[in-house]
Amino acid sequence: MAESRPRVSPGRVALYVTLALTSLLMVVPFAWMVLTSLKTPAEIASEHAGLLPSHWEFGNYVDAFKAAPFATYARNSFVIAISHTVINVLVASMAGYALARIRFRGSDLIFYCFIAALMIPTYTKVLPEFLIVRFMPLAGGNDLFGQGGSGWLDSWWALIVPGAVTPFAVFLFRQFYLDLPVELEEAARLDGLGEFRIYARIMTPQVKPALTTVALLTFESSWNNFLWPLLVTRTDSLRVIQVGLSVFKTENGTQWHFLMAGTTLATLPMVILFLIGQRYFVQGFATAGLK
Amino acid sequence: MGALSVVKAGSARPSSPPESPKPSRSKAVRGGAGPGARRRRAGLLMVAPALLHAALWIGLPVVAAVLLAFTSYDVLSAPKFVGLDNFRDMLGDAVFRKSVLNTVVYTFFTVPFGMALGLLLALGLNAGLRARGVFRTAIFLPQVTATVAIALVWLWIYNPRNGLFTTLLSIFGVESPAWLASTTWAMPSVILVGIWQGIGMKMLIYLAALQNLPKELYEAASVDGASKVRQFFSLTLPLLKPATFFVLITSMISAFQSFDQIYILTDGGPANSTTMMTYEIYKSAFREFRVGYACAQSLVLFVLLMAFTLVNRRMMGGTRGHG
Repeated sequence: MAESRPRVSPGRVALYVTLALTSLLMVVPFAWMVLTSLKTPAEIASEHAGLLPSHWEFGNYVDAFKAAPFATYARNSFVIAISHTVINVLVASMAGYALARIRFRGSDLIFYCFIAALMIPTYTKVLPEFLIVRFMPLAGGNDLFGQGGSGWLDSWWALIVPGAVTPFAVFLFRQFYLDLPVELEEAARLDGLGEFRIYARIMTPQVKPALTTVALLTFESSWNNFLWPLLVTRTDSLRVIQVGLSVFKTENGTQWHFLMAGTTLATLPMVILFLIGQRYFVQGFATAGLK
Repeated sequence: MGALSVVKAGSARPSSPPESPKPSRSKAVRGGAGPGARRRRAGLLMVAPALLHAALWIGLPVVAAVLLAFTSYDVLSAPKFVGLDNFRDMLGDAVFRKSVLNTVVYTFFTVPFGMALGLLLALGLNAGLRARGVFRTAIFLPQVTATVAIALVWLWIYNPRNGLFTTLLSIFGVESPAWLASTTWAMPSVILVGIWQGIGMKMLIYLAALQNLPKELYEAASVDGASKVRQFFSLTLPLLKPATFFVLITSMISAFQSFDQIYILTDGGPANSTTMMTYEIYKSAFREFRVGYACAQSLVLFVLLMAFTLVNRRMMGGTRGHG
């Protein structure tokens, strides 16, 4: 990894120290979160508590699960994040493939529409999206004109469908498919494969890094999403972990040990996924940055 | 669009703007000259699900937002056309004006400061150290963590009774203010969290860009006797221009849309000292049920973002700096 031979010089030492201190600053809040989750309420409340727990209270995690349905929240978040990941990878890769490799009437225009869609700020679309969900015809007691009921509000549909496909994924897939050699495709076509098979069997296995990147980024943004699930759910059984945490804060504002236990649980899957898929995360974020 | 031109920063290929089709594409197109009709139909079919999704969940909402901005609408009764009333109301809305100012202040402090720090860290990490991966991971970690979770942790860090800040400052005998409850300190506290969380992304993009810089230029500069500092200002900074533009635009877009941290940390308070445009939009729509007004506010947010992007683009002199 090192490009030049590391030598001991004052400059290098200073550099190491600076980077180590910065890294520490980035990690300390996480450590503080975990440490707090292991303290007793009495210790948290005391004015002269130390940084480390005087008694490691692992039972906080069990109690936090009893105090709020974190298991349900986490399950909901998983279901949504996995659904988004699967749908986005499937739908966006197909679209990206078609836009990269097949020329058809309107394909350029469609591509520019996806590019334009990338530029729209979340807040410009979020209110009408909410209204569409609310007035979804023939759902949740609504009539054909979307009146009378609550539409998709408080349903899995609202949590999963609107955010399932992202223009960014379409764009990223297209870039990856563009780079593949034509020969592959031509050989498959000579063998008499149809277009869908060429996409599924020949070309897509060649863009595994794109699949991984899109999957990880989709999972990440879905797991971390807050505003949308906050808007479209009311019942506890459909709450996702981020919303569940925020409600827990206002309802039991002072129970820091539970709150930090819950936050640790909400943070853990992403941290693990990040450590495993770091290479793709790094590549994806460097490529994307568009959130 | 310029923001997208650093696509695949990790690969050796220099940035290529999406609007110019690459050779492989035209070849691919010619490759399918045979039974083209079936092929074209397959293409359209494959793009259809994504296209329909975007039409319903992006296209329609944007059109609706623009139309609703000129109405008075409370969700319960039909929208009523009110012309420019919403925009006029906004001009007289001191809280909204405050939120625009706060958004700009927050962006001004989190983005350029974060970028400078991100660049410095990237330069440090680019110096061929051992353990570079460990540092990079630590610095990037907050970026993959939910803003809600992060804001909750910081809420606890800022806790005036026995949060981490208070505890640490008390060691030095300094009495800390009630960070988030003070009109003076709430905004700086929120900004600190913003810089802390966003720095990893900025560092990463700069690092990717630095690793793509042509080494020969630096060798030539060294031969010519240019100092490291001189090399940085005459070579590195200009060569990093596309990356800088990319980081600037993407960070600005996300800073302008900060919501989660405000919701958790301050609820826009105290005395509206930390409220942001997104938070006002949320309040107008979901607490006051003034959907038309909220849509008008969201349009202002959109237009401001666009304007900033264009101004930046002009100031940076385009993004096709190196090729």
